[in-house]
Amino acid sequence: MLKILIPTFMLFPTIWLVPGKWLWTATTAHSLVVASASLSWFKWCSETGWVAPNLYLALDPLSFPLAVLACWLVPLMIIASQNHVAHEPLTRQRTYISLLVSLQVFLILAFSAMDILTFYVMFEATLIPTLIIITRWGSQTERLSAGTYFMFYTLLGSLPLLVALLYLLNDTGTLSMHTLQYIQMTNPDTLGTMLWWVACLLAFLVKMPLYGVHLWLPKAHVEAPVAGSMVLAAVLLKLGGYGMMRMMVVLGPLTKEMAYPFIILALWGIIMTGSICLRQTDLKSLIAYSSVSHMGLVASGILIQTPWGFTGAIILMVAHGLASSALFCLANTSYERTHSRTMLLTRGLQMILPLMAAWWFLANLANLALPPLPNLMGELMIIVSVFNWSSWTILLTGLGTLITASYSLHLFLTTQRGPTPQHFISMDPSHTREHLLMALHLIPLLLLVLKPELMWGWCF
Amino acid sequence: KHNYNAHNIPTFLSMKYLENQFKAFREKTAEAMPSSDWTPFEINRSLPPERADIVIVGGGVMGWSIAYWLKQKEKIREGVRVLVVERDPTYSQASTVLSAGGIRQQFSLPENIVLSIASADFMRNINKHLSVLNEDPVDLQFNHSGYLFLASENVAQIMEENYKTQRYVGAKVALLSPTQLKEKFPWINTDGIVLASYGLENEGWFDPWTLLNAFRRKAISMGVYQCFGEVTGFKYTTNSMNTAEGNKLDFQRIKYANVQMPNSLEYQPVECAIVVNAAGAFSGKVAEMMGIGLGLKDTIAGVPLPVEPRKRFVYVVHCPDGPGLETPFLIDYSGVYFRREGLGGNYIAGMSPEEEEPDTSNLEVDHQFFQEKVWPRLAHRVPAFENLKVKSAWAGFYDYNTFDQNGIVGNHPLVNNMFFATGFSGHGLQHSPAVGRAIAELILDGGFQTLDLSAFSFQRIITQEPMLEKNIV
Repeated sequence: MLKILIPTFMLFPTIWLVPGKWLWTATTAHSLVVASASLSWFKWCSETGWVAPNLYLALDPLSFPLAVLACWLVPLMIIASQNHVAHEPLTRQRTYISLLVSLQVFLILAFSAMDILTFYVMFEATLIPTLIIITRWGSQTERLSAGTYFMFYTLLGSLPLLVALLYLLNDTGTLSMHTLQYIQMTNPDTLGTMLWWVACLLAFLVKMPLYGVHLWLPKAHVEAPVAGSMVLAAVLLKLGGYGMMRMMVVLGPLTKEMAYPFIILALWGIIMTGSICLRQTDLKSLIAYSSVSHMGLVASGILIQTPWGFTGAIILMVAHGLASSALFCLANTSYERTHSRTMLLTRGLQMILPLMAAWWFLANLANLALPPLPNLMGELMIIVSVFNWSSWTILLTGLGTLITASYSLHLFLTTQRGPTPQHFISMDPSHTREHLLMALHLIPLLLLVLKPELMWGWCF
Repeated sequence: KHNYNAHNIPTFLSMKYLENQFKAFREKTAEAMPSSDWTPFEINRSLPPERADIVIVGGGVMGWSIAYWLKQKEKIREGVRVLVVERDPTYSQASTVLSAGGIRQQFSLPENIVLSIASADFMRNINKHLSVLNEDPVDLQFNHSGYLFLASENVAQIMEENYKTQRYVGAKVALLSPTQLKEKFPWINTDGIVLASYGLENEGWFDPWTLLNAFRRKAISMGVYQCFGEVTGFKYTTNSMNTAEGNKLDFQRIKYANVQMPNSLEYQPVECAIVVNAAGAFSGKVAEMMGIGLGLKDTIAGVPLPVEPRKRFVYVVHCPDGPGLETPFLIDYSGVYFRREGLGGNYIAGMSPEEEEPDTSNLEVDHQFFQEKVWPRLAHRVPAFENLKVKSAWAGFYDYNTFDQNGIVGNHPLVNNMFFATGFSGHGLQHSPAVGRAIAELILDGGFQTLDLSAFSFQRIITQEPMLEKNIV
């Protein structure tokens, strides 16, 4: 653990002490080395059940895919922001990268936290750098409202979570995940316990987001700069899923009845947000709503509490993280050239940037869960386990898959095919940096096809 | 003095006082609640939005027509965000409202004829296009009285050729001999006239203010943003590329349009993807802000936008024994023109100056011009105009294309996202519906769909191939 954490902390001196012209190169290289080192977490020792365990920090097959994803994403974020931040004064550039790295630190600590309260503190701590990135480096006036929505929606859920955790601590005497997995929860069927159950999960449902409390996400994603959108879509949403999976251990038999409305809300949300995607005019907004749609499926998979459900949820979280982040990077390449996110004005790009069209194609296919990509694997496992719970859900999930395919294709066809507008006569050709970025997103996704056991979680 | 009210209760305990306090408290908290608009920084509500997809510089009839058609063609609600920037809310110098308001198909270039036919069709069915729910229908006061061109000996040949072109394209025009002319319009003095060309359908005049307001009302109801301010500059990025022969070309892309507020130093950079230059007579200045024309001579960057303001006068005269209600828009071969205005025996007359152009720094009217040049020719052509009285006069600018007096439609080869819709030299108003649609198609569909206006592109200015109208005046 320390062999990853200390280099991550050392990124701060790298950022602040490196001379200006080497800033981006050095930080990218350093974070890439950290990301490669984090791959050592894949070596899972099944005897202890945890990787690199100590009293406070340990990883298990649920958390190390997400922690590796968090480490992997930082060099990608730095590469993606290089263009639009490069025009600012040096100190501001350093501040920006410091915020990204601090996010990485909090995320690693969150995913490897062994005490639920540590996890809670890290969960809240990730809000601060994200808020600063959205409100300071976003480009529209609406970013202030986006920041407000983002903060207060999450805080709405996390205060009850704090109360619930402290109550649990009082009740069981410990909040360590090492110990909590062995206690027998016998929750009486009272209103208080039901409220405690909701309080435990509300913060994570808001973070996922669940359909009824999802309003912060399109705003935050659209107004954030590209690195903010990437980290939001790829990792921060997964904090919610991860938290839910950890909390399920202590929530006991109550979940069997209480989860019902939330599963239905999640499944309904897939269809609703998918349909909204079909009507979107803003490119980033479409990708944001598609995130809500996929996470609805993940939420229902977690709430079902079956091994296949959990496995599908983890796989879908990792695969969606890579695919969604890739789509945001592509949207950013188009935005940097035309300064418009409106889909009607950024059309017919295949004629001008054909190689980028190939990446668009691949990313959109990943989004619509094309076999053999892990997105499909995750979706199928969740759909099957939810069907096992109730046969009627196949209507919702099947329709959801159909709508997902249609808006992904709509996204691809609108941006790439069609008449090329007149005002695209001269455009920057695709930079190698952008191709590198897309390759670093999609090659791991393709590699995961070959060895999905890395992400299966501990249920398989 | 005691603070007692009628019921002998101390005032600070009475119901009214408590209610007032409660109301004040409620208002104060409402201000601080997230749903209220209060911010510590005062928001200047007249500022344009920080981001718009398409910024249209110029709020004349051309600008609002383009805005309307852009919204008309987006197939999804709020598909594009359009902002129209107009610097003068009173439209005191705008060519649109100072125009004589005529529409004719009698051009020599087929493209112009087709544009007029399409626009006339639009205006005849204007309520199908521009009516807004629960608002009054649009009444353009389209007088279909037709245009009457008079040709002398040496220009009759041109008139006949034009007649053939117009008929071929589909305009309904008739040629009249002097006798037929005298029969139809007995008040004309046919001295010197060899041939006359009379528009039978879709020609006449209408109220330009109504058309402008109709476009504006409909566009705003469809969600177009409007801002009163002046575009004073652009922020752009430059991309240098080499041609096959090795010459260096600098391609520019506008990123921000700086809109300055009236009577203030405050300006808002509007991030935009496309800028449409529909600034009319002042389009040349807007183009210069992008450096169009400021490059080296003999390069594409050195070719300026050849649009400059030219002042034209319109005189309102009253003649009780004048031609009457059947008067067409008469254009004489000497250059003088007049048309009926209203039903009270008033007429509008004017003439293109022959030798020297009037000074364009203001809109002052030169009455000497009427006395010396216009009236004699008017009176010669229509003897009843011997005794007329000038009631009033005004001056307006043509967005005069010094190159070939025809419109420039399309984008600039080097400034990728600036589109032109200007330089119509006096027939912009009558072509505005069709040109608006063409520009919207160019932007949203990637090319012209209904009418092919590629002949009007900026290319002809670079290659120096003028598209001249073979007018008889």
